[in-house]
Amino acid sequence: MDGKSTRARRRGKTGENIKSWLIMLPGLLLMTFFVWEPLFESIRMSLYKTRNVELVRYIGLDNFISVMSKDDFLQALTNTFTYTFWSLLIGFGLPILLALLIGETRRGKGFFRTAAYLPNMLPGLAVIILWSAFFSGEKSGVLNILLGRLGVPPQSYLTNYRLVIPIIIVIATWKGAGATALIYMAGMSGINAELYEAAAIDGATVWQRVVHILLPAIRKLAGTLLILQIISVFQIMYEPMVLTKGGPDNASLSLMQLMWQYAFGGSMNYGKASAVAVIVTVILLLMTAVYSYFNRKESDWD
Amino acid sequence: MNRLLKNVSLVLVLCLLFAALPAGMAEGAVDPDLTCTITLGNWPADTAPEAEKALFEGYKATMARLYPNVTLVPDYYSYTLSNYVPMAKGNTAPSIFQPPFTDPQLLISQHLVGDVTDALEAYGVLDKFSPSYVEMLADENGRIYGLPRDGYVLGMHINIDLFRQAGLIDEEGLPIYPKTLQEMAEYGQIIREKTGKAGLVFPASETYGGWLFTNIAWNFGCVGDSALEYQDEDGRWVCNFTSPECVKAMEFMRDLKWKYDILNADATTTDWAGAHSLLGTGEAAMNFAADDSVDQPTANKGLPVEDFALIPFPAGEAGRYALAGGTCYMFAPNITKDQGIALMAYLQVIGKLPFLNDEIIAGMRADYAAKRDRGAPVLPAISAWTDEEYNAAKQAIVDEYCNVDMRLYRDFFDSLSEGTITLKSEEPVFAQQLYRELTAVIQRMITREGADVMKALQKAQDSFQEYLDDEINDY
Repeated sequence: MDGKSTRARRRGKTGENIKSWLIMLPGLLLMTFFVWEPLFESIRMSLYKTRNVELVRYIGLDNFISVMSKDDFLQALTNTFTYTFWSLLIGFGLPILLALLIGETRRGKGFFRTAAYLPNMLPGLAVIILWSAFFSGEKSGVLNILLGRLGVPPQSYLTNYRLVIPIIIVIATWKGAGATALIYMAGMSGINAELYEAAAIDGATVWQRVVHILLPAIRKLAGTLLILQIISVFQIMYEPMVLTKGGPDNASLSLMQLMWQYAFGGSMNYGKASAVAVIVTVILLLMTAVYSYFNRKESDWD
Repeated sequence: MNRLLKNVSLVLVLCLLFAALPAGMAEGAVDPDLTCTITLGNWPADTAPEAEKALFEGYKATMARLYPNVTLVPDYYSYTLSNYVPMAKGNTAPSIFQPPFTDPQLLISQHLVGDVTDALEAYGVLDKFSPSYVEMLADENGRIYGLPRDGYVLGMHINIDLFRQAGLIDEEGLPIYPKTLQEMAEYGQIIREKTGKAGLVFPASETYGGWLFTNIAWNFGCVGDSALEYQDEDGRWVCNFTSPECVKAMEFMRDLKWKYDILNADATTTDWAGAHSLLGTGEAAMNFAADDSVDQPTANKGLPVEDFALIPFPAGEAGRYALAGGTCYMFAPNITKDQGIALMAYLQVIGKLPFLNDEIIAGMRADYAAKRDRGAPVLPAISAWTDEEYNAAKQAIVDEYCNVDMRLYRDFFDSLSEGTITLKSEEPVFAQQLYRELTAVIQRMITREGADVMKALQKAQDSFQEYLDDEINDY
């Protein structure tokens, strides 16, 4: 009797497992062909001398050594961290603030929510072209026209090597902050309203409610979005590519753009391009691992 | 009687058939029953002017009539190196596409283009393009992978209205234009002072800056022993950006920004199209550009043809060179012999092979009429072919449709015909990478006042030398 029921349970489990695997199969196949295979191919390619996408001969770590010994790699690496720094400075707090303000709005919440998300719905290249007209250093640039009305002479923006990265981050934040704000709003809506009521009865100010209730409640979500933001900004490419082509003098060149240049910028060196891609992946894996480590430690303390 | 009628009819049909065959074509080069499919890149997009679309539909109809079993598949594909490689490797590249003269050798060395030697031979056109083109389009075994579409010579586009506002106009109303680079700087200064607009638009983004700089550097003496790149006695390619001539040329670039202040404000983000736009909309007075892009500031950006002039590239202290480049036709790596022949037939129908017949002449007429209707200057074309009869016929059609005051172009074309300017093709190896390195130096010069020219050139030289070693010397 016992043996029979165990066998039946096992059969049932196996049946369930097969069903689960079948459900996962399309996703796994897609992942295999469109994510894992290119990923491993790229690692393999980084170890070879290449002729366009063909592997010519195995050269070990030569591509990595060659890429990393060049000044433009160091410049691109520094720039990429600078992008990340400015992105966190300008773009990390803004969605939280937006979510807070929209959350506190009594009327027209739907309108503000849509308005905040609208830039995210615009095609990326259109946004960049729009902003390039705004920040054009020519007399016909929109910002220069506006400043001209105040008597300020035309200024250079995208050709100024000190300003170029912060400007690109402002543009990227303008486009992406609304979408992140929506996620925060969803997170905030899960906070127990009684906590607010209790705090209000105890005479807590808005600031105190934010610091003692809201921020602790969204801390985990903010942590996840932080790492996602770092990963995303670390792969920044099309914004500088369209706005500045990495200039002036590589001042806005990102690692992903450097990778593009190796592959498609005239040299067709896919081996070195793959080496840059692998380096970016390793850096991101390390950063994610560090975050996960501290996050787990914090959870343990909790 | 019936028999006589039959015979006469047969003779008439044969005559008509032969009349339909393009004159000068090698006999039997194309079998009328040839059966294959060819994909044609650079087909006009749906948004293209109606006249252009109609022109290509006409070509398609002619092909269908002459070779009913050849299927034409229009493709809007426009070549760039980055989009072409994956297509060629994935066997999805169009059968024919149009890269600039900078890329054929790279594409040939990477086995990314098809061999059309046999098709060209069958057509009898191999001896009709100049040896320099053969060199550019062939591999080390003499096999040929393309044919020239048209050539261009770099000169300078002028916005006459800004010259007029600056008082740089003679008694005949013609612009007093710069003959030397030094004059260019000085006139640019006058224009800036009098109009507030940029004297010179210099597209210094990506690779454009380096591309234009090479011509300036030649005029400062970066040729021969002082060339930007050369092969040493061991056959190794050597980068030479730190020659006194190159340093001088780069110092001149720096001065254009900090001493003369004639450049457009966003030079480092300006590309080729942006430069034409600034000249066409009256934001800049001069632009280094070629005769093949005269439609950009005019028809595309609204500058009236009477306010536009094309002048020779200004001379430097060591000479007067002008970059001669162009566009060619190349073919997908997997094309078959039949496809090669069909593509030659197509090129003949669109008038791109040096043969003439009524249909081809009508095609050329339609082409120039469309240009004139768009408000683009109709100018003598710089032919890639040596066939005198073909070139003369083309020139006659240009004269017929010419819509400009040729005094605004005369010096440019005279400098070519009289040999007062030396034509020079692009730097021989990895030109795009060379341009990229030099563009970075130019960007440094014009965005950082007091930047060290020698230091920046040395850095670029080391980087490009490593590239040459990696890609050719030690490959």
